[in-house]
Amino acid sequence: MQSGTWAYLTRRAIFLVPLLIGLSILMFALIHAAPGDPALAMMGERAAANPQYVEQVRKNLGLDKPLPVQYFIWMRNLLQGDFGTAYTFGNKPVLDLIGERFWSTIQLQAISLFLGIAIAVPVGIISATRQYSLLDNTVTVGSFLGLALPNFWLALLLQIWIGVKLGWLPVISTGQANAEFPERIKYFIMPVLVLTLPNIAYFARFMRSSMLEVVNQDYVTVARAKGLDHRAVIYSHALRNALIPMVTVIGLQLPRILGGAVIIEQIFAWPGLGDLAYKAIGQRDYPVILAVTMLSGVAVMVVNLLTDLVYCLVDPRVSLTS
Amino acid sequence: MDSRQAFASAVSDSPSLTSPALEDLPRRRKWTTVRRFAENRLAVAGLVVVILLYLSAIAAPWISRYPYDEIYAGMRSKPPSAEHWLGTDRNGRDLYARLIKGGQVSLAAGFASVAIIMTIGVALGALSGFFGGIVDGIIMRATDVLLSVPQILLLITAASLFQPGLKTTVIVIGLTSWPGAARLVRGQFLALKGQEFVTAARAIGAGPLRIMLRHLFPNALAVIIVEATLWLSYAIILEASLSYLGLGVTIPTPSWGNMLQDGQRELIRGAWWQTFFPGMAIFLTVLSFNLMGDGLRDALDPRHRRR
Repeated sequence: MQSGTWAYLTRRAIFLVPLLIGLSILMFALIHAAPGDPALAMMGERAAANPQYVEQVRKNLGLDKPLPVQYFIWMRNLLQGDFGTAYTFGNKPVLDLIGERFWSTIQLQAISLFLGIAIAVPVGIISATRQYSLLDNTVTVGSFLGLALPNFWLALLLQIWIGVKLGWLPVISTGQANAEFPERIKYFIMPVLVLTLPNIAYFARFMRSSMLEVVNQDYVTVARAKGLDHRAVIYSHALRNALIPMVTVIGLQLPRILGGAVIIEQIFAWPGLGDLAYKAIGQRDYPVILAVTMLSGVAVMVVNLLTDLVYCLVDPRVSLTS
Repeated sequence: MDSRQAFASAVSDSPSLTSPALEDLPRRRKWTTVRRFAENRLAVAGLVVVILLYLSAIAAPWISRYPYDEIYAGMRSKPPSAEHWLGTDRNGRDLYARLIKGGQVSLAAGFASVAIIMTIGVALGALSGFFGGIVDGIIMRATDVLLSVPQILLLITAASLFQPGLKTTVIVIGLTSWPGAARLVRGQFLALKGQEFVTAARAIGAGPLRIMLRHLFPNALAVIIVEATLWLSYAIILEASLSYLGLGVTIPTPSWGNMLQDGQRELIRGAWWQTFFPGMAIFLTVLSFNLMGDGLRDALDPRHRRR
């Protein structure tokens, strides 16, 4: 790695600050521009009929202050590590809420991502080394099918077929958290399957084209010419370089992965972050919406940065100094 | 000679493109593109399905057999039959008629969203790539911000700003999806603006607007068209997702997305057809657009050949 790399990365990291401020202003403006009053959303019908009471609640939440003031108060608290208290969700501190749900989303998504890569990489390699074979064509068509499949539709069909008709697996995830280990796997099978399929399709397609590009390069031909056997050429020479672009692609998938959780978690009643965000937006729970979007923003930006770093660690030709 | 052709033949690995005399390229190239597309059976199949879908949307009043919003007494959630090809929904409306009407709505929503996406994306990407500097900095940071949040969260948040409906769906998808297109066009303009024909245009006194519209844009058009095709499929998925969550197109207007949501309630009682057919329609449409878009990319830009 070149010496300028660290300077570059530091600069990039510092640059995240204005980006995050931009993101927070955008989200703040969006949620406050939306019609609907969180004070009304959080109270019962009878209480909402009393304008004095509504006014008092708004005041308690600090919603009576001008927007810029609200923003600065929120920002000041955030800098002290205080994400505030949720308006709904039993008025829990936002960080606790996120903490409760973080792992259930991560477990689901990490398994799907890992399975996706573990299946897609070998499939992509075999497909590329036997270009235009029956297997290769099957993989190409299969990945087109996988990419076009609306996975929430698949989720609904699986629920009814495997969950209700055959009764093999639980339809929704209620009780998942209390289930013991072997029994608990059952709750994961359908959501993981549904989330993994598009990952396989996407990564296999990319792995195949990345591998094809490498296989046609001169150094691979040289390796073959000097008499190395096929396996050695593919697995120790070509594969290493073909895997490099995969790093970026996997990194770029993060927003899609976080977003994919929203609908699938709705369908399976999975108590994760996507479900939290969806409900918070519906209930105008400002502190929760802001916290979830800010955290996902930070996660995406940091992963992008790490992707660049990994890229430059594994491939000495890449320079980040410019 | 057109610069795109020069560029393409210079970097192309495809022998069919480099063999003819360079002077013949403009005319030959056009036919090469068509021929290459036509040779790709999957892409042609995609194109045919896309054409059929649009035809069915246009011909909806004549082919739907029943009015899409007419409720038939005693016909709630009936399975497919000779009278009702795809069965009826939980309100006793003909599902085939609703699927056709829903297709009209979903395709129109996709088309309108892509129009917005590409207008904003191309305009901002062009400015960014052409002027560079502070303009580029601001526009690219805006894309960074928008791309750092999962789009579905932005969509849901933005959708809650307005009354749910077809118009809101289109606007919200359009306003949150442009960053990808903007980056792509920026890259194209950056690569093109350093080339000699741009310097030549500058030398004879062409202004920035003329250079962008007459010299750079036509050369970036192939990439823009491919991007638009792929967005058509993605916009339909986004519409379906939003409508499925109840934030997009709202009943009684059917769209494939809200038909899924509506049908889901009857799924537990075994009325699979109400969920199966709208989902299948989305699947087929997205698949066809993807196959077509991919074939188009391979045909227009041999560097991208994957097959």
